Amino acid sequence: MMSTKAFTLVSAVGWELLAGDKERVHVECVECCGKNLYVGTRDCVVHHFLLEERALPTGTATFSAAKQLHRHLGFRKPVNELRAASALNRLLVLCDNSITLVNMMSLEPVPSGARIKGAAALALNENPVNGDPFCVEVCIISVKRRTIQLFLVYEDRVQIVREVSTPEQPLAVAVDGDFLCLALTTQYIILNYNTGFSQDLFPYCSEEKRPIVKRIGRQEFLLAGPGGLGMFATVAGISQRAPVHWSENVIGAAICFPYVIALDDEFITVHSMLDQQQKQTLPFKEGHILQDFEALQVMYRRILQQAGFIQFAQLQFLEAKELFRSGQLDVRELISLYPFLLPTSSSFTRSHPPLHEYADLNQLTQGDQDKMAKCKRFLMSYLNEVRSTEVANGYKEDIDTALLKLYAEADHDSLLDLLVTENSCLLTDSAAWLEKHNKYFALGLLYHYNNQDAAAVQLWVNIVNGDIHDSTRSDLYEYVVDFLTYSLDQELVWKYADWVLQKSEEVGVQVFTKRPLDEQQNSFNPDSVITCLKKYPKALVKYLEHLVIDRSLQKEEYHTQLALLYLDEVLRQKSGTSSKAAEASEIQLKLQHLLQKSDLYRVHLLIDRIRGAGLPMESAILHGKLEEHEEALRILVHELRDFAAAEDYCLWRSEGRDPPYRQRLFHTLLAMYLQPGPTAPELAVAATDLLNHHATDFDAARVLPLLPGTWSVQLLHPFLAGAVRNSVHARRTAQVALGLARSENLIYKYDKMKLKGSSVQLSDKKLCQMCQNPFCEPVFVRYPNGGLVHTHCAASRHTNPSAPGPGART
Amino acid sequence: MRKPDGKIVLLGDMNVGKTSLLQRYMERRFPDTVSTVGGAFYLKPWRSYNISIWDTAGREQFHGLGSMYCRGAVAVILIYDVNHPQSLLELEDRFLGLTDTASTDCLFAIVGNKVDLVEAGAADSREKEGHGPGTAGGGGGGSPKVPKPVQLEDAVALYNKILKYKMLDEKDVPAAEQMCFETSAKTGYNVDLLFETLFDMVVPVILRQRAQGPPQTVDVTSCKTPRRTRSGCCS
Ligand SMILES: Nc1nc2c(ncn2[C@@H]2O[C@H](COP(=O)(O)OP(=O)(O)O)[C@@H](O)[C@H]2O)c(=O)[nH]1
Ligand SMILES: [Mg+2]
Repeated sequence: MMSTKAFTLVSAVGWELLAGDKERVHVECVECCGKNLYVGTRDCVVHHFLLEERALPTGTATFSAAKQLHRHLGFRKPVNELRAASALNRLLVLCDNSITLVNMMSLEPVPSGARIKGAAALALNENPVNGDPFCVEVCIISVKRRTIQLFLVYEDRVQIVREVSTPEQPLAVAVDGDFLCLALTTQYIILNYNTGFSQDLFPYCSEEKRPIVKRIGRQEFLLAGPGGLGMFATVAGISQRAPVHWSENVIGAAICFPYVIALDDEFITVHSMLDQQQKQTLPFKEGHILQDFEALQVMYRRILQQAGFIQFAQLQFLEAKELFRSGQLDVRELISLYPFLLPTSSSFTRSHPPLHEYADLNQLTQGDQDKMAKCKRFLMSYLNEVRSTEVANGYKEDIDTALLKLYAEADHDSLLDLLVTENSCLLTDSAAWLEKHNKYFALGLLYHYNNQDAAAVQLWVNIVNGDIHDSTRSDLYEYVVDFLTYSLDQELVWKYADWVLQKSEEVGVQVFTKRPLDEQQNSFNPDSVITCLKKYPKALVKYLEHLVIDRSLQKEEYHTQLALLYLDEVLRQKSGTSSKAAEASEIQLKLQHLLQKSDLYRVHLLIDRIRGAGLPMESAILHGKLEEHEEALRILVHELRDFAAAEDYCLWRSEGRDPPYRQRLFHTLLAMYLQPGPTAPELAVAATDLLNHHATDFDAARVLPLLPGTWSVQLLHPFLAGAVRNSVHARRTAQVALGLARSENLIYKYDKMKLKGSSVQLSDKKLCQMCQNPFCEPVFVRYPNGGLVHTHCAASRHTNPSAPGPGART
Repeated sequence: MRKPDGKIVLLGDMNVGKTSLLQRYMERRFPDTVSTVGGAFYLKPWRSYNISIWDTAGREQFHGLGSMYCRGAVAVILIYDVNHPQSLLELEDRFLGLTDTASTDCLFAIVGNKVDLVEAGAADSREKEGHGPGTAGGGGGGSPKVPKPVQLEDAVALYNKILKYKMLDEKDVPAAEQMCFETSAKTGYNVDLLFETLFDMVVPVILRQRAQGPPQTVDVTSCKTPRRTRSGCCS
């Protein structure tokens, strides 16, 4: 007899239940509807069973069938077909070419006695076209030749709605909407009973083999084709899926999406409709009917899940995972095996009957720590895999919280990744767990993720201060600085500003200097920050540098303050270590640079401050700023004896000024070198170097009288050669210019002579070149080519483009 | 499962190499094939379209299925074996009739496969000598390299016959030279060319069908399909 179940066979109804005390019973047909199983026999009896599914500890399921009742229909004919219409609570029974409506529970025929007569076979329309839920569309192959009839079947009446005739005798039928899929004697066709349009599918010899027609879904059917093929066809007569390959002896087919199940005389085969591959073969002899069973899939999944747990218990994790996945296991079933992993708030309860026999992991591993660790690692990787798939839908909190707990316990790096990316970890549960495992840094991340930055920072500060211990990050202080730098919580930043600055002025100040600029405008405006930094001079210097150099703020205060701070530091260094004083410190270079480049600081204030401080270079720069070049150069030449600096000074101060200004500066310097009196030899050397390097920056004529007569020409050769070359060059250039001007003048003279040279004779014969009329007055216009025209013609020529006329008027 | 936008069907006698050609193109390999049962298909994304390519069974037993496979096809590839003249004849006798169900503007390609078995240079010498069927001797000989028993001209002649059979005007369809190919699934010779030339030709057919035929389902994306016109200032 027929046993239901693809994939594993389960005996649902034992023989003795059907046969009772009879010796033989022949099953003709079966029908399943929910938990109701109906069996029709050759001796005209309908049996009703209630199926009860029971799971076995081994992971398989078993069905027990409780017999409800059976009823003899009162004919001497076999029950050919049974169809349940659960919406009507009716079972349609085809027997002796007549379809009777019986109550699904009592198996009593309806009192009205409604029935469909003359039916050889029937099919229900699973995609009905009429909208009435309490009405079933039934299609029958009539006992009349080549006739199909359509009926509406209500609770206690039937109504014929249409009769269509077919080109050949139909042998099997399936319905979808308006479309009938028919197996005729020699071919399959699609027939639209509404329009009468018929579409050939393919030829088939019904005499050789029994045809099969099954609706598999909206507008698509499955048909037995030649050579044991299961062919798919749409109502448009198109095959959209490749065929499945059955054996030649196929008897029946059933659909359990996405599987096609076929029965032949030896096997039940299972193919996937998606890839046409055969998935399973179950030996099953002497089957003769195959019927769909909608509960199949639910059951199948359950079995996969159970199998998954069996594999899991044997630590066969790969297999387990595959089974959990294909069985669409609610992951919480798995998580719940691990003590304390599910959040306390989780509403989950294990499925009943249970999928396995284990109370928890301790029982499963019998306390074996090694096994336990393996199971945990598996769960980690499994949850990590599924957390972003649809498997996690609805249980994200449970999954992420469990994952967090596993990571924390195992000291796993991914804990931090989990917390810094989108996650659904539940705060209270996770916080308690992290605290328990001393994962304070991670706990801070959790707080941050839950918008509790104050709590997060407080925790981290405690770690840095050594109040609590968590060595996750050795650079936690920098991390906090960074965190505050990008924190939008201004109050929080101000609250911890002192703390970060106390730890390190240079690093701590980054919370101000590295802030996004837009924020630096308001709450973190320079004045507030400077006030805060009063106590931290190093930080203040960094901050002012940020304002003056990085952001180029043009505000006198900042520049002056920065210069003063630099100066303070320079003075402090000088007083501290006199040994190093010779060499300009880094800070001193910064000071000089600022003094040179900035035009904003208060020069007099600084001059006052450095007076007597022994900073000649700086005072030279400051004098330079005040255009007091003599004083500046005096300091450089006489105090510092730094001639290179003096030269640089001239270049620096003459930047962007006109050449005479520059000359004046150089002459000032030269004069200082050549001061009357006992000239120090190095000053003389400096003077010659200056002249030789900057020959063009001097007026040689003014220089020569200044030079001492004792100097050799050789000494000043580069200067003199440069000066001579310069002056020769200037002279020649002037001569060339003069010559060019003269010749230009000559050209003009020539032109003038030419124009004046010849006379123009005006007579009656001379005609205006434009209007061809004689000149009546002694007034005319002459073109350079000699042409004569009236003055008025010449004037109009400018507005008349078609007129001839070369050249401009003279 | 993505719904294909157009269907191409491979037809031809068994063993001409339909399955091999398709596998060569789709999987870039030439494995041992088993005789195809019923049919199989691949989905090939091309530009923004999905084209389904159906491999059919050449066996007589499955002949009845051919019409259904061809229904609505935008292109049919008729395949013969250049070493077996009979396989070309079969195309006309047995397979052409199956294409009656294809779409009205269906394209036809004729493909002579297994040219690798033909004497090297046979094709060249033929070109130099001019046309006319070459020496047809040694069809099933033991030598692996033989002169080519079926010439490209024979395929061209069949193509022109098909046009007559379909009552198509030569002007409206691609020229025979464009639609007759010689390939080798074994070496990969001309295989990409065959399929990709055809895909490119099929795309306008798909577009035209979408624009004209009332689609069975409302396809939002195709509503906006622009009809190609010559208008426009700078194209
Ligand atoms: N030498 C050669 N053999 C081929 C070629 N194409 C197919 N074959 C062989 O021909 C046989 C039939 O090929 P198959 O693809 O199954 O033909 P189908 O029946 O048309 O699908 C197989 O043994 C292939 O290996 C080819 O281009 N060259
Ligand atoms: Mg094949």
